Amino acid sequence: MLKVLRSFFSDPVFVKKKAFLKSLPLFKELGERELGYVLQAFHSRVYHEGEVLFMEGDIGRALFIIESGRVELTKLDAGGKPKQIVVLGPGDFFGEMALLEQLPRSATATAQEKSHVHLLYRSRIESLLHRHPRIGVSIMTHLAQLLSARLRRATQQLTTSDRVERDL
Amino acid sequence: MGPERRPSIGLIIALAAATVYLAYHLRQILIPFGLSFALAYLANPVVNVFEARGMRRDRIVIMFYLLIAAAISMTASFLLPVVMRELSLLQTNAPGYFKRSSEYLSQVQVMVAHKLPIGQSIVEHWNLQLYTPLIEHFQKLPGYLLGLFPLLSLLFLVPFITFFFLMDSSRIMRDVIQSCPSRWVEQVLHVTTEIDTSMGSYVRSVMIESFLVGLMAFLGLYALNVNYALAIATLVGVSSFVPYAGALLGGTVACTVALFQYGTPLAFLKVALLFLAIRGVDDLLLQPILSKTSVHLHPVAYLLALMIGGEAFGFTGLILGVPAACILKTLFRVGWDFYTSEVLMRSDSPPGLRIPYV
Repeated sequence: MLKVLRSFFSDPVFVKKKAFLKSLPLFKELGERELGYVLQAFHSRVYHEGEVLFMEGDIGRALFIIESGRVELTKLDAGGKPKQIVVLGPGDFFGEMALLEQLPRSATATAQEKSHVHLLYRSRIESLLHRHPRIGVSIMTHLAQLLSARLRRATQQLTTSDRVERDL
Repeated sequence: MGPERRPSIGLIIALAAATVYLAYHLRQILIPFGLSFALAYLANPVVNVFEARGMRRDRIVIMFYLLIAAAISMTASFLLPVVMRELSLLQTNAPGYFKRSSEYLSQVQVMVAHKLPIGQSIVEHWNLQLYTPLIEHFQKLPGYLLGLFPLLSLLFLVPFITFFFLMDSSRIMRDVIQSCPSRWVEQVLHVTTEIDTSMGSYVRSVMIESFLVGLMAFLGLYALNVNYALAIATLVGVSSFVPYAGALLGGTVACTVALFQYGTPLAFLKVALLFLAIRGVDDLLLQPILSKTSVHLHPVAYLLALMIGGEAFGFTGLILGVPAACILKTLFRVGWDFYTSEVLMRSDSPPGLRIPYV
C-alpha cells in the first residue's frame, strides 16, 4: 500500500534533477530534503548554439550551472577582440560572485551548443540562508573555499611572474 | 562592454499609468484573479514542502484541494449561516443600541455643559464634528459587512483559478524565462523574484495575521459570552487588513454590545481589556514573527490609501486600499532597485571591493 502511494506521488523528473545536484561539489554535503529546497530555488533554461548568457559589463545577478552542453567564456582584449578564457561543460558552474555582490560581469558567456543551464538567483540564496541556514552555510562555505583557492593561485602566479622578471 | 540597455523612465511611467488605468476599468474582472493570486501565495509554501520531498506537484495540489474541500464543507455548512444570521440581527439591533448610546452620551453632554466653564462650546463642537457622523457610520457597519457577502459568489471561481495558479506557476515561470531574450534572463529573473519574494511574504503575513486576530477575538468574546461573537470576530478579521482598524472597530462594536447586553460597566471593561490584549499579542508576538519582511507605510500614505480606496471602491476599497498601497510600494521599490543597479550602476558592495569578476 505504502509502495503504491509512494509511486503515485513520486516525481521521477524531480528525483533525477536532485541526483544531478548531488553530483556537484557545491551541494555534496546536503541531504535529500535540502536538495529539494535548493532545486525549488533554481530556474532552468535551454540556450541554443550562439545564444549569449551574459555580456561583459552586464550586471551579474545569478550563478549558472551547466547540466548539459558547453558554454564559452570570452573577454575583450586591448584591441577589442574577444579572447577565449575557458570552455565549460556539464557539472561546471560560473558567475558565482553574483551571489555575493552585484557588479558588472568581466567576461561574456556564450553557448557553444544547445545547453541546459540552471540559474540560482541571489535573493533565492538569501531566502535559503534565512529559512534553511544549514543549506546556506554549506553553499557559502564552499564558495568561500573556492574564492580562497583562486586567491592563492593568483598570488602564486604573481610571485612566479615577479621571480621570472627578476631572473631576467 | 555590451551595448547599453537603458530603460526609458518615460516609457516605464507610461506603462505604469496604462496598467493602473486598465486595472481601474477592469476591476470587477480582476477581483477574482487578485483573490486567487493571494490564496495561491498562501497555499504555495505548503505545496512546496511536499514537493521538496520529491512528490509530484499536480498530485499534491489535488490532495490539498480534496482536504480543504472536506474541511470547508464540514465547517461552512454551519458557520456561514451563523455569521449571516448574527450580522443581520446586529444590523436590526444596531439602531436600538446606538439610540441608547446617544441617550447615554446626551446625559454626559448635559453634565459637561453644566460642570465645565466652556462646556457649552465643547458640546456643540463635539456634536457637529465628531459625534453625529461617527454614530451614522457605526450604525451602517453591519450593513457594510453584509455588503461584502456578494463576494461569496466568487466561492467557486476563486478556488478554480487558484488551482491553476498553484499547478502551473512553475511552468508559467519557466515559459517566461525560456521565451525572453537570452541576455535578459538575469534581469527578468531579478524583477520577478524580487516581486515574488516581497509580495508573497506580505500577502501571507496579512492573511495569517487577520485570521489569527479574528480567531483570538472570537475565542475571547465566546469565553465572555458576548452576543454576535462570530459576526464581531469576522468584522475584526476583515478590518485587520487595515492596521489598527480591526481592534478599534471590533473593540468599539463589541464593547457597545457587551454594555447593552449586560448593562454594567464591568462587562464593557472586560471586553475593552480583551481587545487591548489582542492588540498587545498582535504587536508584540504576531507582527514580529509574521512581518519580518512586510512593507511599512508612512501614516500619511495610510490615510491617502484609505481615502482613495474608500472614494473609488466604497467599503471594499477601504479594506483593500492599504494592502494595494503596500503592493504598489513593493513594485515601485523593485523597479527603482532595478533601475539604479542597471542604469546608475550603483552597487550594494562595501567600498574597496570593486573587483571585476566573471
